[in-house]
Amino acid sequence: MIASLPEEVALRTETDIVVVRRAVREAAIGLGFGITDVTRIITAASELARNVFLYAGSGVVRCRVLNRSDQVGLELIVEDHGPGIADINQAMQPGYTTGNGLGLGLPGAKRLMDEMEIESEAGKGTKITVKKWRKGT
Amino acid sequence: MTEETLSIIKVRDILVVTMPADPDDATISALQQKVLLAMERSTAKGVVLDVSGVESLDSFFARTIAETTRMVGLMGGRTILTGMRPSVSITITQLGLTLGKTRTALNVDRAFDILQDGSRQVQKP
Repeated sequence: MIASLPEEVALRTETDIVVVRRAVREAAIGLGFGITDVTRIITAASELARNVFLYAGSGVVRCRVLNRSDQVGLELIVEDHGPGIADINQAMQPGYTTGNGLGLGLPGAKRLMDEMEIESEAGKGTKITVKKWRKGT
Repeated sequence: MTEETLSIIKVRDILVVTMPADPDDATISALQQKVLLAMERSTAKGVVLDVSGVESLDSFFARTIAETTRMVGLMGGRTILTGMRPSVSITITQLGLTLGKTRTALNVDRAFDILQDGSRQVQKP
């Protein structure tokens, strides 16, 4: 019933951001998310994937199906071995950026998804996990 | 890798730019240059940027659209963004994106009405 998910998508170049969006789109549609949630998930994935490309250079995106009681969800794990986020609270402030972006990526992705968890260590890398639960049955 | 191309056609004195469903960053960046070059070559008075086929619009795409609008404005043209899907509209609002001063219309037809009304007003003494 649930479409098979790609194990992981490697992020090495700008064009891989499109590959991530397509993989995530397939996964979200396969899990039966509505069109607006599919768009939210794709957009959040795009922001997180672009951050990896901009700040770490390369990384990986993994999709996982979540099950809890009677709910189905999609989890995305975006991981890199880049410089890490020095101050996560600051990075979550809309408009804050250390690059030349809009500073909307992280706080925006959090608003679009249901849950977000950031693990980051300076010099070691960043792992961001986001989850979206399918509404209704 | 499928090459998603961008189409630009001139209808009367307006450039109609149709964005592909899921353009990569290079295609989005190319948009800016192609539109500005087409403006110069065709002496168009405005640009209609149709995003009705676009499935998702992230911060990079939105920023490029806002910048393109400003650049077309500097050249003396107006840009109208048309056909944004409801799901995209909801998503970019929650993401916190704005499109700068980009004007919008429900569809290409409405955009033509706006651009043509504008020129009529300009012609009136």
